[in-house]
Amino acid sequence: MVRRSARSWLSLGLVVAGTLAVPLGLRAVSPFLRSPKAAPSYIPAIETPRERAPFDDAVVTDLRNARPDYVTIGDSMAGSRINTGDLSRLVRGNGVVGLFEAARESAYWYLAFKNWIVEPGIRPKVVLFFFRDENLTDPLFRLWRGTLDRVAHDREPRLNEIVAARTHGTYYRVHLAAQALYQHDTVRAWLEPKIVRAPLALAADGPEQTALLDAMNDQVFALEALRPMAAADMQEADDAALDFHRLLPTSVLPEMIRLSKESGIRVAFVRVQRRPEGHRPPPQSRALQRYVSDLAAYLAANNAAFHDDWGDPDLPLDMYDDGDHVKEEYRSHYTAVLFRKAPGIFR
Amino acid sequence: MIFHSLDFVVFFLATVTLYWALPHRWQNLLLLVSSYLFYGWVHPWFLSLIFATTFIDYASTRGMEMWPHRKRALLWLSIVTNFGLLGYFKYFNFFVENVAAVLGAVGWHVPLAALNVALPVGISFYTFQSMSYTIDVYKGHARARTSFLDVATFVSFFPHLVAGPIMRSTTLLPQVEAERRFSPAAARDASLLIAWGFFKKLVIADNVGVIANKVFALNAPEFYLLWAGVFAFSIQIYADFSAYTDIARGTAKWFGFDLIKNFDHPYLAKGPSDFWRRWNISLSTWFRDYVFLPLAYGISRTIKADRVLGLDATTWAYVVGMIVTMLTAGLWHGASWNYVIWGGYHGVLLAVARVAGGLPKPRRRIRRWLAPLQVLGMFLLTNLGWLCFRETEFAALVRDLTLSPADATTLGTQTAVYLFGLAAIYSAPLWIQSLWVAAGGPDLVGAMLSDEPSPRWGRVAAQAALAGVLFTGVLVLRSLTTLDFIYFQF
Repeated sequence: MVRRSARSWLSLGLVVAGTLAVPLGLRAVSPFLRSPKAAPSYIPAIETPRERAPFDDAVVTDLRNARPDYVTIGDSMAGSRINTGDLSRLVRGNGVVGLFEAARESAYWYLAFKNWIVEPGIRPKVVLFFFRDENLTDPLFRLWRGTLDRVAHDREPRLNEIVAARTHGTYYRVHLAAQALYQHDTVRAWLEPKIVRAPLALAADGPEQTALLDAMNDQVFALEALRPMAAADMQEADDAALDFHRLLPTSVLPEMIRLSKESGIRVAFVRVQRRPEGHRPPPQSRALQRYVSDLAAYLAANNAAFHDDWGDPDLPLDMYDDGDHVKEEYRSHYTAVLFRKAPGIFR
Repeated sequence: MIFHSLDFVVFFLATVTLYWALPHRWQNLLLLVSSYLFYGWVHPWFLSLIFATTFIDYASTRGMEMWPHRKRALLWLSIVTNFGLLGYFKYFNFFVENVAAVLGAVGWHVPLAALNVALPVGISFYTFQSMSYTIDVYKGHARARTSFLDVATFVSFFPHLVAGPIMRSTTLLPQVEAERRFSPAAARDASLLIAWGFFKKLVIADNVGVIANKVFALNAPEFYLLWAGVFAFSIQIYADFSAYTDIARGTAKWFGFDLIKNFDHPYLAKGPSDFWRRWNISLSTWFRDYVFLPLAYGISRTIKADRVLGLDATTWAYVVGMIVTMLTAGLWHGASWNYVIWGGYHGVLLAVARVAGGLPKPRRRIRRWLAPLQVLGMFLLTNLGWLCFRETEFAALVRDLTLSPADATTLGTQTAVYLFGLAAIYSAPLWIQSLWVAAGGPDLVGAMLSDEPSPRWGRVAAQAALAGVLFTGVLVLRSLTTLDFIYFQF
């Protein structure tokens, strides 16, 4: 009886061990599925090993030489708004350097601040970040493969934790440990595109397959093709997700604040206004209003400056180019308006 | 709390470890506390409803035993209270909307207040389970239990609480009351069942569900695109619901309980009644025993003539009883007309099959050749039903049913072929398993489940390998879009 019971326990142990051990085969095959030049990613939580572009340390050299009082960081929203020459004249002293890169978001800005300014010992008086709506607390927004290479070191453990926590939730360390153990993401990155593309052979000839995939996304399932309710549901879901205090711990914003406090560099955040609707400012949901109000309170509590463009009558629709971008001829106007209306930043 | 979360994994491991360290009565108390924790995880106020249901049915059944002459009144008390709670929280808004629509149609516009609360998940499941206990006691099929703890544990047992299988008091309550001993062999089988459940949910249902959701979000899908979406949904709902059942059964086995099998390769059904013997078995037998049979007996007693319109009284009782039962079953799924239409559609299919069953049958050899066509035909009919089930807007349903393949564009057709192929690839393990069974082979996962105390090592090795492969599949192929279990909303 005791022997039989021991055998039953052993059989249970074998099934549990088998469940956990078989996926180790993934680890064995994963080296064959990636390029020999591939190096571990600085954000392994969401990226498999790959070849990366080098860190751009020329920017650090330029900043060392310029020794600016102000550094502005942002994407095309900032690039299309700020005239750094004008702003340098307005602030006087050592002037302003603009670190603008289109289609980059908060993870990039955080690494630019950390790796180009704080860690190399560059000490401007103020670093300004330009953002739209909830971008500051969305570390995954525009976090495409390779977009951070220019600003990232080989290891970025804090960013990796933030990204992992946002992607996998409370138990993200379990996901990270499983990923480190099984390396299943390498196999996934190799296999999933093959599965997704396999049925294309049923629908189109070889050269047309990629075009078909694009046409499906851009035409068949375009936003305009959705039911109004489905589109509204998506908006509602976005609003429900707009809880500043819930988003904050899994964003790069606390890290930016920490770096600011440790280095003694003041940080300022400018929320740029989206495209107005006629003579009215762009609509914003109640959830977004609450979010912005919570963000402002958080920044004030942490001695960071905040300026909100929304509803400014000096920023009319005429200034706008495509989307939320500002026409080149209005860049000086915007710069002057910001300097005048945000004295707290430029004092 | 949901099964496919690490919250649940932590909760399960902690509960099961503590559970087997406790004596029997304490085990039941732990099950009750953990079940309430599981159920009230997101909305603690849901607990007041499940407690109320439990208390009413416990008190009613105790009353039936103490005052036998008041049995009927106490049964009605239970039915009215249970249906009252269910009706208020699940059907109130549906009722108000329809009343407002009817009044509006006659020009009387009355502002009626809607209920703005979340639908308590699983309310339909545990209400039916709890009520079946009261009905069984009323009919003398079960005795009234004196232990409130046992009854509350029976009603709230967390592995199957929110999406079944619905267990009868005659099956589950004795298991609650009995002393349980940990069986490593049962736990071993349970682990495989749980792994298969997670694979079906995270790899098959969620990947294919994304396809269905995309198609049903379209304003005006073309013919082939729509049916690719319906095909994807038919896979999703089966994989999703049967996954829940497998995880529930596996989890229950770890606690020493056996829950009934709820699915038996439903897409191998050769006809409507065969389908309902294979699909959501616990619900279909519940409706059969507590709704259809009493209704059909009642109808057959009221028909005095031998034949009416060429059909005998028994057939009429079946036809009417079945259509009413299936309409009710449809409404049970959700407070929306599309579910009623879906139920009515299946009721009509069952009735037609019954009437056609009286026709002369082809010879056995021909029947064998016909079998694959019957399976295919029933699958297509089932898909038509799933369209009614999934499409919540009546106007869109009408539009969908009047679509013509002739109007399809090349891009729409290519997209449909692509989505159909993608759904087929992700669901391949499900089809292989079912086709294997159809060809006479044993159920690949079921065959490896056995409660034999002395293990056969070949089988154990196969179980270990299969569980490992399933876990590997989950790691590599799981959908990055995690969808709720479909039956949570019911």
